Amino acid sequence: MMETRGSARRAPRLELVDGGVERRGRWLLRDVDLVIEPAMLTSVVGPNGAGKSTLLRLLSGTWRLTEGKALLGGFDLSALPRRQAARRVAYVPQTVRPTFEFTVREFVTLGRYPHESRLFGTRSADRGWIDRCLDDTDVLALAERRVTTLSGGELQRVLMARCLATEAEVLLLDEPTSNLDLAHGLDLLGLARRLACEGRSVVLVLHDLNAAARFADRVAVLDGGALIAEGPPAEVLNPDLLRRVFRVEAVPLEGSTAPVFDFEPLR
Amino acid sequence: MRIAFGGNQAGFWWYMAAGAVLLLAFAGIGLFRGAVPIDEGDVLAVLARHLLPGERAADPSVDTIVWSLRAPRVVVAAMVGGCLALAGAQMQGLFRNPLASPGIVGTSTGAAAGAVFALTFGLAGTFLLAAPLFAVAGALLSLLIVTRIATRDGYTPVTTLLLAGVALNALLAAFNSWLIARSWEQYEAARRIAYWMMGGVTDRGWVHVGMVLPGMVIGCAIAVWFARDLDLLLEGEEVAASLGVDIEKTKRAVLWSAAILTGSAVAVSGVVGFVGLVVPHLVRLLLGPVHRRLLPAAFLTGAWFVVGADLLARTLVAPEEVFLGVVTAFVGAPFFLFLLVRHESEVAVSR
Repeated sequence: MMETRGSARRAPRLELVDGGVERRGRWLLRDVDLVIEPAMLTSVVGPNGAGKSTLLRLLSGTWRLTEGKALLGGFDLSALPRRQAARRVAYVPQTVRPTFEFTVREFVTLGRYPHESRLFGTRSADRGWIDRCLDDTDVLALAERRVTTLSGGELQRVLMARCLATEAEVLLLDEPTSNLDLAHGLDLLGLARRLACEGRSVVLVLHDLNAAARFADRVAVLDGGALIAEGPPAEVLNPDLLRRVFRVEAVPLEGSTAPVFDFEPLR
Repeated sequence: MRIAFGGNQAGFWWYMAAGAVLLLAFAGIGLFRGAVPIDEGDVLAVLARHLLPGERAADPSVDTIVWSLRAPRVVVAAMVGGCLALAGAQMQGLFRNPLASPGIVGTSTGAAAGAVFALTFGLAGTFLLAAPLFAVAGALLSLLIVTRIATRDGYTPVTTLLLAGVALNALLAAFNSWLIARSWEQYEAARRIAYWMMGGVTDRGWVHVGMVLPGMVIGCAIAVWFARDLDLLLEGEEVAASLGVDIEKTKRAVLWSAAILTGSAVAVSGVVGFVGLVVPHLVRLLLGPVHRRLLPAAFLTGAWFVVGADLLARTLVAPEEVFLGVVTAFVGAPFFLFLLVRHESEVAVSR
């Protein structure tokens, strides 16, 4: 089982104020007001094309907003130098297989970039921190393997290690469980849960609504580029909303504290 | 397929030590052997005269052959090889493609066009530095054109850059052919152009060393400064940006660095093919993709590779000379095909 240590600084508040982004004449996301509460696990859900990945890009500051603002601890994220922003907010896009043959250690060390000095590179303190990140995500044994030879589950954990290596207090992960089998998926969600308990804000795009309901403190529902609802899973996820947004018939499962459902196609 | 040396720093230093030994060995052979047989002791005497403090006498003809003909030729060969391999390594990193070459955005064809222009219009006959200067200008101008075309709202997508480079390469190659065809009547100019296009470091003097040096120093400095950023770019622009890389600044710096290096090399040696493609690829296989190791190793490997290739060029059919560009392509191309075939089979197995 994975065990996390590391800094327990409390994460800054990350918010999107009236955020919208237009690409090639189409609004991918518009009028989004969303607060990522510190030290919470927030799950972003929505059908394909709802704007979930776009939302993460805006929150990470890698995409510029067409209108509105992204604020990190009250400060405009776009006004922050990239390196400084990268020390506070880490973003992992949907998994792409690496093509260059870094070793796992080299790959995870890429996450130290915002802390590295241009002249002297990685310092020994950095190296110790890398070891801890590898250990936390249970990939220390893989340290000298080539990233191109990893299985999907191993790669996802290595990506988590790189994300931790940045020491960021806000972690944004786009579909981190999509390539994982059940056990590895649960492991990763458990790790995300623990990171949130330690004080980091974790935002996950998830397709599995029941996993979102079980693990997340808050759920944000997107549809057609708009934020439909946001709040604790028990308040947000109900058969009516699920029918509207996901076009499924949701039958609540008996005997569970979390709002979990059995899904059937609409009739 | 990352073969030997692993990712460790010690492996890197062993590789660099071996490269330094090879470079010294090839340079030594280049100094001690040549068309005119000279006694080893006399060569050493000349070297001592120029490199050690104090006055020493030497036979003037021997001195000329060793110090003014052989030595600069070896030095120019090493510099050209280093510059091309380094520029190739940068382009392969920037385009995330191990098949990219230093001139992929049109810089080496641009440099060639500049030099051919200077040669056809007789500028090179009146002013020795005209061809090299026009070559560097041609390389930089090509890059300027390509980046201008590919940039929208301050953003330069690498795929657009690549396509614009391909188009410009074709255009400039046609321009070169046209200039050469135009000069066909003037035998001397046509001969010089043909020789230059085939690439070589024959009869290069210390003045040529001086011509590559500034570009080499500037290009290397920029390359080293942005080495780490290239590591991150290999993981894609989105990941690199999220980890704090200034993507557009890095692209621009790396492109200019490679253009300066390529332009300076082409300016003194003509078009020496395959070094900038094969050498970085090979070094990446051996040492892995981390640019802090890859870039210096590629530079050193390019240096000994071209010094060695030039040895072959002047000894294969001595006293005649084969063109250096022909030798590097003859050695480089089959080796490259070998790598391709290996790579292909590995991809097939892993699927």
